[in-house]
Amino acid sequence: MPPELLRMIIASVIVVAFVFLNAMILGYMERKVSAHIQRRPGLMEVGPHGILQLLIDGIKLIGKQLIVPEGSNRFLFRLAPLLSFAPCVLPFVVIPFSKKLQIVSMDISLIFILAMTSINVIAILVAGWASNNKYSLFGTFRSVAQAVSYEIPMLLSLLSIIFMTSTFSLQGIVAAQKYYWFILVQPLAFIIYFISGMAETNRAPFDMPEAESELTAGFHTEYSGMGFSFFFLAEYANMFTVCSIATVLFLGGWKGIPLPLGDFTGIVWFMLKVYGLLFVMIWIRWTYPRVRFDQLMSFCWKYLIPFALVNLLITAVVVKLI
Amino acid sequence: MHPATEKLVTALSEQSIVLNECDYAERGYHFEIDLDAGRLREFAQCMLEQEMYLVFVGGLHVDPAIEIIYQFASYDRLCRLVLRVVVDSNNAIPTISDIFQGADWHERETRDFYGVIFIDHPNLVPLILAEEDVDLKPLLKNSDNIKESAAVRWVTVEEQPETDEKADTD
Amino acid sequence: METAQQNLEPATDIPHDNRYYLNMGPQHPSTHGVLRVLLEMDGEYVIDPQPVLGYGHRMQEKMAEHKNWMAFMPNTGRMDYAAALPYNHGYVALFERICGIEVPARAEYIRVITSELNRIVSHHLWIGAMLLDMGAFTPILYTFDDREQVLDILEDVTGSRLTYCYFRVGGVCKDIDDNFVEKTRAFIKRQRERFDVYNKLVTGNIIFIKRTEGVGVISLDMARRYGVTGPVLRGSGIAYDVRKNEPYSVYPKFDFDIPTGQNGDSYDRYLVRLEEIEQSLRIIEQALDQLPDGPFLAKVPKKLKMPTGDSSFAVEAARGELTYYLVSGGGDIPYRLKIRVPSYSNLSVLPELCQGMLLSDLVAAMGSMDLVIPEIDR
Repeated sequence: MPPELLRMIIASVIVVAFVFLNAMILGYMERKVSAHIQRRPGLMEVGPHGILQLLIDGIKLIGKQLIVPEGSNRFLFRLAPLLSFAPCVLPFVVIPFSKKLQIVSMDISLIFILAMTSINVIAILVAGWASNNKYSLFGTFRSVAQAVSYEIPMLLSLLSIIFMTSTFSLQGIVAAQKYYWFILVQPLAFIIYFISGMAETNRAPFDMPEAESELTAGFHTEYSGMGFSFFFLAEYANMFTVCSIATVLFLGGWKGIPLPLGDFTGIVWFMLKVYGLLFVMIWIRWTYPRVRFDQLMSFCWKYLIPFALVNLLITAVVVKLI
Repeated sequence: MHPATEKLVTALSEQSIVLNECDYAERGYHFEIDLDAGRLREFAQCMLEQEMYLVFVGGLHVDPAIEIIYQFASYDRLCRLVLRVVVDSNNAIPTISDIFQGADWHERETRDFYGVIFIDHPNLVPLILAEEDVDLKPLLKNSDNIKESAAVRWVTVEEQPETDEKADTD
Repeated sequence: METAQQNLEPATDIPHDNRYYLNMGPQHPSTHGVLRVLLEMDGEYVIDPQPVLGYGHRMQEKMAEHKNWMAFMPNTGRMDYAAALPYNHGYVALFERICGIEVPARAEYIRVITSELNRIVSHHLWIGAMLLDMGAFTPILYTFDDREQVLDILEDVTGSRLTYCYFRVGGVCKDIDDNFVEKTRAFIKRQRERFDVYNKLVTGNIIFIKRTEGVGVISLDMARRYGVTGPVLRGSGIAYDVRKNEPYSVYPKFDFDIPTGQNGDSYDRYLVRLEEIEQSLRIIEQALDQLPDGPFLAKVPKKLKMPTGDSSFAVEAARGELTYYLVSGGGDIPYRLKIRVPSYSNLSVLPELCQGMLLSDLVAAMGSMDLVIPEIDR
């Protein structure tokens, strides 16, 4: 077996394992943080402080029957969860966890990640369409409109960083933040990116596609067992990707105060920053009500996009002058 | 008496509708009215003009015919009145749901429970009963326990039969 | 009869090109119970919402005609499960009125205190459920924390936590003790401090304001045509409260305000209910201060014979005006008991109120009405 192939297999196994692990950590974190926000203990039964609960939940979901609703397109219905899950794994290939820990270093890593995360829309479209359920279809309409709209401010805000670094390589962007983090010079871009990121990952208060008090469960109403789990995994993987882009572009990536951990220093800092951002996402979700759909859209088109454009313009002028 | 209530009394007397004043402490309402089905809509219109709201519409199955009971009250003064209308021989009565839209559901409910037809009601489909139970009419009395209309009318305390009083104290 | 039969035919016309029907309920997260709303939709817009009732109907009015009036007493607590004591109150007060029974002063005070506690509990539940409809999960756990305190107090004295059957004709079935008074006072103090939390978490929340302001505006005219009562009506600026307008029990002895809104939208209805909690606290405080000694249950003959005729009694339940209308043919079984429940009339506004709304607004407007379905399907 050629060593390159072996390396690829090991890498993909690690990535998929990490996606599952991440979903478990985040699932546990979400439930524990929300519990404490709501002044209750949360998970306590399985294992100390309930840390094994998500493992049990995973086993339960695997064991569940997959129900295909009557009158739905069977092939598309089964395909959608995989279509949602597979592209979410791919960004992990290029994320620089530390200086050395990156599976593939590409010059266009950022574009690769953005391209992969936008495939998720198609998966939701397929899921909602194939479910043969009006609520699912509703969620799908909302989701597609939302994802397509919020990609614009997201890209515009990232573009301001690209103007400053002149590279799409994530390692290059980290290296460019040698003296200061870009959040200090681009706070507006960070805020716009983070809001758009929350909308892209369908997190409350922008959880239109799910909107459970309006649409029961939106596009995954009809999914059970692993079909549902794949959407769940994809959501958490997407959240991780969004936060790691924010970390790399705005928070200095894996850089940080040296710790006595040798080569692990970078990855520790990276994870701390990413999970810090994820904590903020969870915090927001459990504090705010959901916005209305038209408010969500007008917020994007009337506020985020103009501000992102102005920010981009100013960045361009400043970069040119310096 | 509140000036608005006086206005109401005058307006109704002008249409020669007879109001029986009741003892509020005993009955919980001020006026009692018996009306022909033909004048019901005219009366409801008057209620709307006098700024009364519809409390409820309910049925009462007595011999010889079902009576429909309307209660009106006011948002800004203490005034409550009860209206009794007897249905016609076809078990029908005019609707007031175009005057008081709130009557829509009450009338549909009364149709479910008594089978009373509200003439010109826009949507007289079962509200509470399931489709297969359309003709259940659950609140109709059977021949054993139905009472005369007069037997369920209020009688003042002096007229109460004395025998009941003794039974009370055991 | 023929025309009537035609009317009974269900509408079978095919929806206009891109219109379609959406079934909200009977199992839907935001209908809180087994209510079904049949929505005719055009995209995200609701063209015609029609509530479909009867999924949990128990025919309480029929039961009332078949039981001794005393045996029907527990049923009164099973209509509005969120605030059962006002239902108890209206029922016993009706029989006290028709039979001319004097209630001891202490019993009236106990009734008022427990009823107001129950009203607070109901508003707690509503704030949580409303915010849940809007997609905020956290407030319900905060309000339930407070609700739990009251339920414990009420449980001590009534013996149950939800479907109370505490009042009796002539008084209440159990006296309150010092422990009750002490715990209630502690609760009043605690609740006043908690308003700050509510305001920070909900009242000033920009998303909540944007979602509810101007949504579901009920005008005075609309309210009157439908017979809307309770906080839903008061949100529209009409200070109609049975406790003030048609005083019963010992309510005239207390100094309290009727909070009203200005715009009649969902946000005003929220503010009104929040303020009503404070007003209920004021009533309880005064009632505890003035609480007289004496018997808590009058001597009432075991076999209560009703005079013939009709009588009506209205009380202010947590959701609006509750009227019991009794027609008696003598004896101890009611000939007819009509129960006018507030939610029934309040919900009947929905088709007119929510025409042309976005689906999300319909959820917000319906949530702000504080519907308890077993009360509608009584």
